[in-house]
Amino acid sequence: MFDNLYIAWKYVSYNRVKTTVLIACITLISFLPFSLQLLLNESERQLMSRAVNTPLIVGAKGSSLDLVMNTLYFGDDVPELISMEALDRIAETDLSLPIPMYVRFKARGHPIAGTTLDYFEFRGLKIVQGRQFAVLGDCVLGAKVAKSLALKPGDSLISSPESLFDLAGVYPLKMKVAGILEKSHTSDDLVVFVDLKTTWVIQGLGHGHQDVTKIKDPTLVLKRTDSNVAATAKLYHFTEITKKNMDSFHFHGNLSAYPISAVIAVPYDTKSGTILRGRYLSKEETQQIVKPEEVIDSLLQNIFRIKNVMDAVIAVVALATVLAVVLVFALSLRLRQREIQTIFKIGCSRMTITKLVAAEIMIIVCSSAVLCGIMMLAIHTVSNDLVRMLFIR
Amino acid sequence: MITKRSFLIQQSRVYSWLIITAIFILIFSVRHGSAAEILTVYAVNYPLKYFAERIGGDHVKVEFPAPADVDPAHWNPDLENISAYQKADLILINGAGYAKWVNKVSLPRSKMVNTSRQFKDQYITSKEVMTHSHGGEGKHAHESLAFTTWLDLELAARQAEAIAAAMGRKQPALQKTFQANHASLAKELKALDQKIQAIVSKNPSMPLIVSHPVYDYFARRYRLNIVSVHWEPDEAPGDEQWLELKKILKHHPAKWMIWEGDPLKATIEKLKGLQINSIVFNPCGNVPAEGDFLTVMRQNIENLKMAFDY
Repeated sequence: MFDNLYIAWKYVSYNRVKTTVLIACITLISFLPFSLQLLLNESERQLMSRAVNTPLIVGAKGSSLDLVMNTLYFGDDVPELISMEALDRIAETDLSLPIPMYVRFKARGHPIAGTTLDYFEFRGLKIVQGRQFAVLGDCVLGAKVAKSLALKPGDSLISSPESLFDLAGVYPLKMKVAGILEKSHTSDDLVVFVDLKTTWVIQGLGHGHQDVTKIKDPTLVLKRTDSNVAATAKLYHFTEITKKNMDSFHFHGNLSAYPISAVIAVPYDTKSGTILRGRYLSKEETQQIVKPEEVIDSLLQNIFRIKNVMDAVIAVVALATVLAVVLVFALSLRLRQREIQTIFKIGCSRMTITKLVAAEIMIIVCSSAVLCGIMMLAIHTVSNDLVRMLFIR
Repeated sequence: MITKRSFLIQQSRVYSWLIITAIFILIFSVRHGSAAEILTVYAVNYPLKYFAERIGGDHVKVEFPAPADVDPAHWNPDLENISAYQKADLILINGAGYAKWVNKVSLPRSKMVNTSRQFKDQYITSKEVMTHSHGGEGKHAHESLAFTTWLDLELAARQAEAIAAAMGRKQPALQKTFQANHASLAKELKALDQKIQAIVSKNPSMPLIVSHPVYDYFARRYRLNIVSVHWEPDEAPGDEQWLELKKILKHHPAKWMIWEGDPLKATIEKLKGLQINSIVFNPCGNVPAEGDFLTVMRQNIENLKMAFDY
């Protein structure tokens, strides 16, 4: 047996190019369906576990998928915004706990999620370093954000401008890292959490500057009446919230009209959830209430439909590859006819020759299997992030 | 075969297990029956603290960490205090823009109780605050609301009602106790409310000066004819302030001035020179040096009697 394997090994290692091509073909054709299945299983796990744990989401009418992906996985596509009135409306029903979400801005490539402290309790997120955000301008980092940006409590993080060319836009806000969350192996690890009001400061709806009613510089005042002072654009706005300037921070207009991207509604019981859903059925309704589980389930069904098509394509390619491999071996045997005759003449039986060829095939198939296994292992290690990159964000 | 000795040993083992189990059950029930039921409530001013204590009784631990010498409306808590507020079971806020720090810190919405939410349509917008805007079309900021809602004792009772309801939601088993305690408090507040109405009805149109713009709800409820100035009780008014007062007196001939706290003797004398007497109507935003919210209000009513010659 070992003799056969030794001779077969010598043969395959001598014909390196042919062997490499054969191993690559078999590896790729077996790796493709397995890896696809692994990624789909992982995406299903990631998507469903979070969706199942989020009872209801309220947002503007439109794409329910964008709404769910933005609220649960902090996706890049921001759904149409709603106002804080949507939150008050849910709170007043006394049917569920409303948790506001405003996922729109970024800080060094990571999404900033504006919410309230109730979110952390709802998701069971724990602070592992530092403290919870307490004042305007504080932020709490997901475990992976803290690691990738090498930030610790006490450091600063600057919000990114929405557009590089928006020269007249708001200044980026320098946020203080208050704490770091324990790793949760969910989308929360990749997010910068701030208080909802801090996102409004990032947007420019809230800001701090010197007291306009007391300034003497006429270039800073556009118009002064008995009850109001209109400031010019020259007025300097603070880009960092500190203990010293905290009192100067304020919000303009009615806070109930301020924007949020969604509201996570956590009904107090099943009946309350059903009643709440019923309140968004009117045709004139401008908001929608969705059950994330249903939205994600429908998304997964689409993914699996695509997967079936891909499976069929892979099956055809696999068949073609197998036929090509058979052809390669058949041609190879024909080319080696003289060599086989010589082996036969020096006294080897036909069985030994068959064993030799079988050993060659076994070496190639085993090498492909090992290579495929290594690649699967690599994919498994990065599947969490890969799924996020391919399917979620 | 079971001997008498082994039977006794077995029996004593059974008894000791029973005793140990009973002790565990007792400890467990004591821990869950008393300590765990006590709600930790944080309030943003003294009236809310007082109402919560009256309604919750022994079932709540009410905290109000603002120092005694500051006005809680303008107090800013440090990180330690904010953290304590965050950990509370209930956070009682006054609403109507009271304690602006609430809008600048992160508190769990699910635990916050805006005690004046039910009557937010009755908030009074302060006319005396200068606002600002950015650019010609910008929205105004600092549009201020009058926030001393509890000086309208009917509104105070409604704030207490909101507290009772919130406590009841947190501890449904004690709902009846909280409602009964609220009913008793509301009765006392109503009695005081009626007393003030009776006093004011002696001379409802009498012009009054108030030392600070904190009496808006008080004036609206009891239909008082007031004009506000910005005088601090512990500071001697400047010449500009006296001039402003004289200007007001020309069209508002007040004989009495209502103060938040005891004014300086020199100020009292100077006011007397203008035929104006002083009385104190303490809004009681912070913990009083003596007594409680109701005793302070009773004293306020006594002071008010002097002005209305009741």
